[in-house]
Amino acid sequence: MSMGMDLNTLDQQVRALLGQNQFAQAEALVRSFLPGGNGPPLVWRMLAQALRLQGRLAEAKSVQEMLVDHMPGDLPGRFDLAETLLLMGEFTRGWREYRFRYSLPHTTRIERKVQRPRWEGERMEGRTLLIHDEQGYGDTFQFIRLLPEAKRRSGARLVLEINHEQVDIARRSPLGVDQYITRGTLPPAFDVHCEMMSLPQALGLQLSDLPGPLPYLTPDPARLEKWRARLEGLPRPIVAMAWAGRPTHFNDANRSMTLADMAPLGMPGVSFVTIQKGPAAEQAKTPPPGMSLTHLSDEISDFDDTAAIFSLVDLLISVDSSPVHLAGALDRPAWVMLPFMPDWRWLMHRSDTPWYPRHRLFRQPSPGNWGAVVQDMAAALAALRDNR
Amino acid sequence: MSVQDALGQAYAHWNAGQADQAEMLCQRILAAWPGQSDAMHLLGLMAHAYGNLDMAISHLRQACRAPRAPAVYFSNLAEMCRQRGLLTEAEEAGRRAVAMNNTLAGAWNNLGIILQESGKLEESRQCLERVLGLQPDNAEAHNNLGNTCKRLGLLERAEQHWLRALALKPSYAEPHSNLSNLLNDQGEFDRAASHARQAIELSPQMADAYVNLAAVETARQRHGEALRWLDSLLTFAPQNAIGLASRALALKQLDRLDEALDTAQRAVAANPESGEAYNALGLVLQSLGRFEPALAATSKAASLPGTAQEKALVNRAVLYMEFGRTAEAAAAFEAALKAYPLSASAHFNAADLHSFTADDPRLPAMEALLAPEVTLSRNDRMLMHFAVAKAYMDIGHVDRAFHYLNEGNRQKRASFTYSADDTGRWMQQIAEVFSPALLERLGGHGATSTLPVFVLGMPRSGTTLVEQVLASHPSVQGAGELMHMQRLAERLGNFPHGFATLAPEQLAPLGQGYVDKVAPLAQGHRHVVDKMPANFLYAGVIRLALPGARIIHVKRDPVDTCLSCYSKLFTSEQAFSYDLVELGRFHRDYQTLMAHWRAVLPASHFMEVEYEAMVDDLETEARRMLDFLGLAWDPACLDFHKSRRAVRTASVNQVRRPLYRSSAGRWRNYADKLGPLLEALEVSAP
Repeated sequence: MSMGMDLNTLDQQVRALLGQNQFAQAEALVRSFLPGGNGPPLVWRMLAQALRLQGRLAEAKSVQEMLVDHMPGDLPGRFDLAETLLLMGEFTRGWREYRFRYSLPHTTRIERKVQRPRWEGERMEGRTLLIHDEQGYGDTFQFIRLLPEAKRRSGARLVLEINHEQVDIARRSPLGVDQYITRGTLPPAFDVHCEMMSLPQALGLQLSDLPGPLPYLTPDPARLEKWRARLEGLPRPIVAMAWAGRPTHFNDANRSMTLADMAPLGMPGVSFVTIQKGPAAEQAKTPPPGMSLTHLSDEISDFDDTAAIFSLVDLLISVDSSPVHLAGALDRPAWVMLPFMPDWRWLMHRSDTPWYPRHRLFRQPSPGNWGAVVQDMAAALAALRDNR
Repeated sequence: MSVQDALGQAYAHWNAGQADQAEMLCQRILAAWPGQSDAMHLLGLMAHAYGNLDMAISHLRQACRAPRAPAVYFSNLAEMCRQRGLLTEAEEAGRRAVAMNNTLAGAWNNLGIILQESGKLEESRQCLERVLGLQPDNAEAHNNLGNTCKRLGLLERAEQHWLRALALKPSYAEPHSNLSNLLNDQGEFDRAASHARQAIELSPQMADAYVNLAAVETARQRHGEALRWLDSLLTFAPQNAIGLASRALALKQLDRLDEALDTAQRAVAANPESGEAYNALGLVLQSLGRFEPALAATSKAASLPGTAQEKALVNRAVLYMEFGRTAEAAAAFEAALKAYPLSASAHFNAADLHSFTADDPRLPAMEALLAPEVTLSRNDRMLMHFAVAKAYMDIGHVDRAFHYLNEGNRQKRASFTYSADDTGRWMQQIAEVFSPALLERLGGHGATSTLPVFVLGMPRSGTTLVEQVLASHPSVQGAGELMHMQRLAERLGNFPHGFATLAPEQLAPLGQGYVDKVAPLAQGHRHVVDKMPANFLYAGVIRLALPGARIIHVKRDPVDTCLSCYSKLFTSEQAFSYDLVELGRFHRDYQTLMAHWRAVLPASHFMEVEYEAMVDDLETEARRMLDFLGLAWDPACLDFHKSRRAVRTASVNQVRRPLYRSSAGRWRNYADKLGPLLEALEVSAP
């Protein structure tokens, strides 16, 4: 045991090191508090975090599994394990542990306390199943693909409650839903419910089940006409671009970039259109030199506009945010820029994704290194332009 | 929108988990109609779902004040009051609910649990059977009825209801936890642990499942594991009184008494109405030798309703017994048996103190508990077999005594695995490792203290008597049976092999580690006696780590010793003691090991005393022992039975009497029952 430091101080120092991407130093410090492999759970948790951020998932997983074995009632510890397992593609236990996502200090109050049983995958013909979305738009675009299977498996009358922004595009698609309602409005009487992100566990979703039938969302023909006219005349390839996610996302600092970071992508013969929404859209007014940029953000009023644009352009380039999932649901290609330690849904060490076969992943080779990502992408983009 | 429409929408929003919309509608209704009953009821349900129990109860009380409040509101109020521990109000509301609507299954169910918690078990059973009449496949009702049956002593029915609940609802955690508790009492430790683990897997924050799992580990003497599960529980429920109480007892088992006391005090602070908490506090104080506060805590536990009361009443009597207050102990046992006439634990402990006579009314009462129509847990049956055997032994009814004794031992032996071959081999290895060469190589490097005196030998050989005699001397303090030497020896790993390669400089810290543990117990005395009999396995360690310590080996007639072991159900694990052949073999192996120690240990620090010689002439033997320790004679040593210090071993009641000769050669009266033992000991029958 390192002398003269209590666990609070250790925690602060480890956080500081992790915040500066000094993962190996953090690990060494933590390990000095685990002499002979013994130490309090809090220290083991720090070790798992330091290992995970270095991408050493198998080691992180074994520490997290040990913690869960010892303290099965520590639900945040189980959610940590869920994220690691899903990131490693171990879906069976991963989805099971993912049920603890509303048992974290900051999530217990936002769990929706539905007063009916949760669907566990059983048949329930003649009864009604309410499926409801949870938080981000991206989750809904990604997991709405499971609705037809939920319909087939349950045999139930299916009611889907989602964000009003996404209802129109969902309604147009053959998802097996009998009734759509927007979030917060009164649903009809129902017997059983399921959160959209609990569907994978209920259905026993495996990696090998992906991607399922594609596309599972379709654009609105009228909007297609509108945007075909708007984009006419732009030299191809046309690349839609988004560089920042929703700023309130817990991991936004890790996943978002600035337009200036994208400067190396500017090259002759490639037309960029911005679909960036939110405060970061301002940046489009001062594009990097050499980048041919058409600012569309102000003309986009809803996801039907975005969907029509994705159906018409040659490529979407984006950070890990909801447009990526919309493009995937439409089976349109996207290049995704990922941080070194990405969200679990992107898995590790691969440039493709089983969720969206036409997507290509560009990962940071080391924490925080967006420069290398943009350089790789610029080379790939030049090749795409030249091989047309 | 009319009030009716708004209410309908509010309830529908809440059903769908749309809390904001439901709450807004309720507030609009209440603005128009202050105190509107249905809106208050819904706000109460919502407060309950978000964990605001007090607010929920307050809303429900108000909702129930309306002239048209329906039965289900009273039923919900009843359940919330139960959760808050307000059993009187709960029962009143529950009874009101079923009076208003006797077809409301949920109301009968809630009332059934309330009555169960209030100890009104027959009525509770009727309520819960009523639920099953209305809804035969109600898993919760089956689970609750199982609990009531368990408390009524209807163990088989309890098990059936829990299994039915699981068949109806496989993901239901509570029946798993309840089955674990029952199976633990039945001695089916593996199954008990497995059910508790399943309960935890299904419901990771279910406190009872952790407590039950820890109880299984305690029952199979894995106190470290028990502690681990309780710590696991306390990580997410640090104020759980039963978890804290169980943790205190696990620490006590591990001899970590200071932490045990601290934890028990936290348990009492967490819930001053918890009998379990006071009971644990009493037991820890008892281990610390603090009679008065132990009695206060145990008496408080005995005064509180709940499942700990029976244990507390028995513990109170055992406490008196340990401190030599025999008359008060007898009275306390009377009181325990009066309140709990079916308590096996009360009968078992009381039997030890009681001298049975041929026409003793207590004997038929005890035997009746073993009648086939009475369902006792397997553990309780075992206790009763030993107790009844003791009674028949007292009145000289040998055939009956051995009938019960053999059966009790058979049941105990079936609950664990043990290999006499392995034990024999191990003792042989101890002798081989602690060879004259090793004692020579490592000699003289230990800690120099002369404080410790070790009294060792077979269990039931007279070690308690020797300790009592010595501790009656003003320069000697008795410390009872301590685990420290075994722990220190095993800390080196794989005893005895770790000692073969030990470096000399490791010995002094080892010995000092022991001295540090016992020095606080000495309370200024020149010597502290550790009378852990099993230290005969570690006599070589003692010699090396504490070269100044004296060792007294107590010998007793082998058959008498083994018979005495066989008559006892030990509280700590004595795995060799429950089969006559294994017992005889263990004794032979012990004899061989002691012969080795006799040959290799110096007479200046190792002496032997015979129990039978002490019985014949205590003074001569007491003088020999005091000479050996370099102490002057003190006549107090002959009045050892007047000592008020606590005795916490299986010998608790013998040492309170002046020496009794009845135990010497006692076995000859039972020789025809002891064939396998005599053969194993190679002793011929008289």
